[in-house]
Amino acid sequence: MAKIIVVTSGKGGVGKTTSSAAIATGLALQGHKTVVVDFDVGLRNLDLIMGCERRVVYDFVNVINKEASLNQALIKDKRTPGLFILPASQTRDKDALTMDGVQTVLNDLSKDFEYIICDSPAGIEQGAQMALYFADEAIVVTNPEVSSVRDSDRILGILQSKSMRAEQGKSVKEHLLLTRYNPHRVATAEMLSVADVEEILAVPLLGVIPESEAVLAASNQGAPVILDQDSTAGQAYSDAVRRLTGETVEHRFLEAQKKGFFKRLLGGK
Amino acid sequence: MAEQCFRMKGTTLTSIVLDIIMFDPDEFDKQLAAKVASAPQFFTRSSLIIQLSCAIDATAFELLVTLCRKHQLQPMAVKGQVGDLRETINDLGLSDISQSKATESELSPADESQSQTQKPAGAKPEVNKTRVVARPVRSGQQVYAEGGDLIILAAVSEGAEILADGNIHVYGTMRGRALAGVKGDTEARIFCQQIEAELLSIAGRFVMQETIQTQCWKKPAQAYLEEDALLVTELG
Ligand SMILES: Nc1ncnc2c1ncn2[C@@H]1O[C@H](COP(=O)(O)OP(=O)(O)OP(=O)(O)O)[C@@H](O)[C@H]1O
Ligand SMILES: [Mg+2]
Repeated sequence: MAKIIVVTSGKGGVGKTTSSAAIATGLALQGHKTVVVDFDVGLRNLDLIMGCERRVVYDFVNVINKEASLNQALIKDKRTPGLFILPASQTRDKDALTMDGVQTVLNDLSKDFEYIICDSPAGIEQGAQMALYFADEAIVVTNPEVSSVRDSDRILGILQSKSMRAEQGKSVKEHLLLTRYNPHRVATAEMLSVADVEEILAVPLLGVIPESEAVLAASNQGAPVILDQDSTAGQAYSDAVRRLTGETVEHRFLEAQKKGFFKRLLGGK
Repeated sequence: MAEQCFRMKGTTLTSIVLDIIMFDPDEFDKQLAAKVASAPQFFTRSSLIIQLSCAIDATAFELLVTLCRKHQLQPMAVKGQVGDLRETINDLGLSDISQSKATESELSPADESQSQTQKPAGAKPEVNKTRVVARPVRSGQQVYAEGGDLIILAAVSEGAEILADGNIHVYGTMRGRALAGVKGDTEARIFCQQIEAELLSIAGRFVMQETIQTQCWKKPAQAYLEEDALLVTELG
């Protein structure tokens, strides 16, 4: 049985797709057979970031509508062995995904894969709820600013009340991934600090991804940024993947603010 | 003139919304049975609003209502994708409220599991029920302790609302709205470990954040009524 992990945020443009691509790639690099599924029907972004947009023939909606088999729609990643992409449709709207259809596809994927990463659309409405409904775990992507934190809080509420696990009286394991973190802007109080966000959301910290030009460069090249191990963002994503699979790894790239801050963060748990 | 037989009054009542995401009769029956069994005190004979979040035909809808009734739930109104079901809804004695506005809140698992611990009425002399919630109450969620006190062991987010007929205790940071004594108990109090609330209210009297900020912001505090004025004072 695969572990189903949704990458979600509420707020748009915070780095869900970037993170889905990086984390799926990282898991595959560790030797776990992984599929990353694009739930953002109508936009189709994931295949661009994964650099496989020209190889999309069939998509998630085709599989749900039984117009194609799962094997026809799955795209094998060129660079990373054991990594597959299930692209979204660009031509349909969000209603094309049905609960039954999604469940069937996830069940089928579960038989073959160790990890299923679901890249959620923005928002807290049906599309986002569909992406998180079957999740065992959730990576909540948050930027260090008030509106993003507020939306993450809302999506956490939905996770623990409207997901399948919640309905069964179980809980969804939560991870906080703080992205586009810029220590300089934290120092000048333009941005919330890691400690602020952790305090407000009270969710275990999976990683802090620094704001990095390498992210844009990577998406232009169609290669997930985790493959760029010279970049801080790539290294931070690698650390996050190691934590996701149970390792204890120190947080990096936070840069010192006050003394004692590091200690509190690293030694706190 | 004859004596007046009735008066018309407005009311708001708390009810459960059953949000139908998809309808498969067997699966629905099974899941509903499990849900009701998980907190029988909470669900049995609860009045219910059916929210149709998926399209459903008349036959299926009738079956859905029958299944609800079989599990001792009492559907009273329907909203959402009502489509051509209006007649069926009427025939079943329900009302179509797809046009009316309602605010909804999440019914979090914490809410339900809580009700499991409620003692059956009549077994012992009636003690006011206390509701304990161990998880954070997130933005957009609402938790209500009917008939008693509410204890929250975690934080209450900005944009979340907690209500109780009795007192409220919050042992995390209180950033949302807290309303105690909502049925008019002027003796009710609110206790917070750390107060950063948007609003505090007791028996209808309230103070807003701007006022609280000038009093004991970010400190342990309690709120209570004294001669109709809502006071917020530091604890300890
Ligand atoms: N760590 C980072 N440093 C710099 N830029 C970043 C970083 N993470 C994401 N971005 C940029 O932010 C933008 C949004 O990223 P992305 O598409 O991953 O977000 P999203 O949450 O999936 O958006 P949507 O809600 O539209 O699906 C992109 O231009 C991306 O390059
Ligand atoms: Mg995206």
